[in-house]
Amino acid sequence: MADNELPPLDDEKGQWDTEAVSRRKVLGALFWGVAGLGGVATLGTAGRFLVGNALEPKAQRWVELGTAADFPTGKVQRHVYSITVADAWRDSERRGVLYAYTDDNEEFVVLDGTCTHLGCSVQWQEDADHFACPCHAGFFTREGEVVSGPPPRPLQRVDAKVENGIVKVLV
Amino acid sequence: MNRIARWIDERTGLSGPVRGFFNYPVPKYVHKNLLYTLGGLTAITFLLQVVTGILLVFYYDPSTEGAYNSVDYITYQVPLGWLVRGVHHYGSSAMVILAALHMLRTYFFSTYKKPREINWMTGVLLLFLVLVFSFTGYLLPWDQKGYWATKVGSEIAGSVPWIGPTLMQLMRGGADLGQATLSRFYATHAMLLPALVGILIVAHIFQLRFHGMAPAITESAKRNSKKFVPFFPHWVVTDAVFGLGILAVLVYFSWSQGAPLDFPADPTSSNFVPRPEWYFLFYFQALKYFPGALEPVATVAIPLFIFGTMIALPFVDRGEERRPWKKPITTGVAIAYTVIILWLTVIAW
Ligand code: FES
Repeated sequence: MADNELPPLDDEKGQWDTEAVSRRKVLGALFWGVAGLGGVATLGTAGRFLVGNALEPKAQRWVELGTAADFPTGKVQRHVYSITVADAWRDSERRGVLYAYTDDNEEFVVLDGTCTHLGCSVQWQEDADHFACPCHAGFFTREGEVVSGPPPRPLQRVDAKVENGIVKVLV
Repeated sequence: MNRIARWIDERTGLSGPVRGFFNYPVPKYVHKNLLYTLGGLTAITFLLQVVTGILLVFYYDPSTEGAYNSVDYITYQVPLGWLVRGVHHYGSSAMVILAALHMLRTYFFSTYKKPREINWMTGVLLLFLVLVFSFTGYLLPWDQKGYWATKVGSEIAGSVPWIGPTLMQLMRGGADLGQATLSRFYATHAMLLPALVGILIVAHIFQLRFHGMAPAITESAKRNSKKFVPFFPHWVVTDAVFGLGILAVLVYFSWSQGAPLDFPADPTSSNFVPRPEWYFLFYFQALKYFPGALEPVATVAIPLFIFGTMIALPFVDRGEERRPWKKPITTGVAIAYTVIILWLTVIAW
């Protein structure tokens, strides 16, 4: 825009200051430089501020699920865990559903109950011997493998270990 | 002009533009066709949302601990709270319906053609923002419905190849749904979107005024295109009457059904089946048909394709023809889309 002709002024109003006007290009460039700098600084700050701590990985922790010997063998069992975690500026309860399965009370398969398709809660159906997701009809075996439906991956395996006879899982 | 008006005008210079706005000549063929009221009615509904939204903010508590109780309090304890929240809730449905119908009308009348391409694009953007409005508002009561719809909705972002997981965490404000998510959605819903949509609506209307109404398409309408009526009061009164009618419908729904409030959000419930708001049901249903590795097709490729083709439309369909019955391709595409969307909605209902 800087090389546009300025419209002539009415005689009554006065005249353009030609000397000042001759510096138009420089001043225009200066303006865009300053404005650009301010804009970039503002947007950069806003961007970093808005991302905030969102990308921090989920804090994980071992929680006790129960006494190993008490788990029924050959059966999938539903567990709800609840831990207090920092949630932004407040402490809050993080709760979730796990499904545990064991043949011998030594090795445990623990699955996260979150469907790998779009995050709904799967349900264990004892008679049909599968996990069913009510959202888009996804089905999984007791080991978490996909049987049918839209889920792209098996149910997520949760790390589990037995310590002093207690089953612990990393959530 | 009386003395007060003149005093104000001398100090603000407003009377010229204001008169220009209200005396705007509306062609007769537009005034006689009620389909042309859809845009104005969408704007009126938006104003209703702004007013009820501002009222709700006076009681709403945007925290994971307080949100549910504050919405419960608004609904059952605040005098006329049921009405304000009800109109806001059903108003979102009205907004989506009206915006979609308005878009269909402009589409079938080929108003997106030169020189109105930019107006069409701001319209597409506005429709998209209306959907974001509705998605972000859904979470705010922090009830089961909102919680699970947001969980699924953010997982959809998470399924984008490569950047999905980052995108999902940015949306949630962390790895899980929590306080940061609620705050983000609230800020977007109550601050960012109203500003953006407000600006775009002004631009949209300014463009309309700049170019005037798109040419008439039927012979009888063309015969009426050289006669005009003033925007105020001839046109405005029609919009106002229908606007009041819409408000009456919203009040009726608020009174007879009430705005729904589910149980408080519970991440451990396994028997709650998440369902989105009815106008997202078709998409929810469509997701069922894309198993496994095809998932990103449904979650990314199709929405991008639809949005992209809508934006590109005025640059593809550049012919002179504006009569829908002489344009089998564009007409067919729109009918196909409408039928598919309605059909998927019916299956999912
Ligand atoms: S979320 Fe489980 S099948 Fe879609």
